[in-house]
Amino acid sequence: MSELLSGVKGMADWRVWVMLGVGLTLVWLAVKKEYEPNLLLPMGFGCLLANIPLSSAVHGGFLDVLTRAGISNELFPILIFIGVGAMIDFGPLLQDPEMLFFGAAAQFGIFFTMMLALLVGRIPGVVGIPGLREAAAIGIIGAADGPTSIYVATRFAPQLLAPITVAAYSYMSLVPIIQPPVIRALTTREERMIRMENPEREVSRAVKIIFPIAVTLIAGIVSPMSVALIGSLMFGNLLRESGVTERLSKTAQNELSSLVTILLGITIGSTMSGEQFLTPTTLLIIGLGLIAFVFDTAGGVLFAKFINLFRKKKINPMIGACGISAFPMSARVIQKMAQQEDGSNFIIMHAVGANVAGQVASIIAGGLILALVR
Amino acid sequence: MDAVIRQGLVVSVVSYLAIFVVLGIFYGLIKVLLKVLPGKATDE
Repeated sequence: MSELLSGVKGMADWRVWVMLGVGLTLVWLAVKKEYEPNLLLPMGFGCLLANIPLSSAVHGGFLDVLTRAGISNELFPILIFIGVGAMIDFGPLLQDPEMLFFGAAAQFGIFFTMMLALLVGRIPGVVGIPGLREAAAIGIIGAADGPTSIYVATRFAPQLLAPITVAAYSYMSLVPIIQPPVIRALTTREERMIRMENPEREVSRAVKIIFPIAVTLIAGIVSPMSVALIGSLMFGNLLRESGVTERLSKTAQNELSSLVTILLGITIGSTMSGEQFLTPTTLLIIGLGLIAFVFDTAGGVLFAKFINLFRKKKINPMIGACGISAFPMSARVIQKMAQQEDGSNFIIMHAVGANVAGQVASIIAGGLILALVR
Repeated sequence: MDAVIRQGLVVSVVSYLAIFVVLGIFYGLIKVLLKVLPGKATDE
């Protein structure tokens, strides 16, 4: 009888109630608001499974097995990247390679937030950010790229993995709410109405095949720590572009991505235990994550405005904001904003180019941070 | 400025600049590839 009541007794802990509420909220956000439902729904349910007192899903159960098999060794984010790579068409970027630099500029939020986290961590009474590794793990939320955030957080601050993942995916789904006010604050209406010519250039199949191989080799030689991330992304892309592995490409895009997303989501959710999640550090991470996205956007927009000082043909500075990874959400947001100002302005090709550049840049940023932070 | 903040600043500045350098290399690479292996121009 006492066995049956032990679960009920466990409900006396207030943290159990709060975490069950958090789990239900994530499920609600996924179902009702459709915020990143593929990830937030499994995460929310994983959170429920982990916080039921004496749950057999954790404490040596299948979720613990999955954590060891796919999170602790960084396998799941890597497999996700193969799927993402197979989904990405680098065509718009290859047509207009200048967009690469917007991808670089819009990583500004990572480093701004990292420094901010370091400074906040120095305030007496603030715990949870004792050093550079934890600050870097928080800053990488600004990569606007879930798998990179998970990868870096697993290495540098596994105890902060759950809040970092929640913040990263939540803000990615909130890009349509976060980016427009920042862009409007930094641009004039005239700037937002700038038209951009579509590059009339067809990219050969050979270039599309060589690109992922060459990028892997160059990035790997410059930053060996980025090989796993960039290599898996580009491997997926090579499956897509080779033209001879259509079945594998489709599997990577669909079955592999879906399967790993289920396992990743429910496993990350299971790490959201009350003791680790209900801390002031979590609130701090949620706040810093928002700052990272805001400063990513600002970095991209301001870089575009800076470039325009030297150009005859001006770039619509909103394109700079697409340099954050959050693909393809950011490109869609910017195209919508452009059409709000001028219904016949189509900048989607440039926006997508900058957006996929952001995907590459965020991985390079992750690799560099892994290499430089000790 | 304490040592950790200084290290953070160095890592941030070096990493941010290094991203531009790496993507600059990719830019050069794409330009060369497009020149060496040109595709057909679109009709529009």
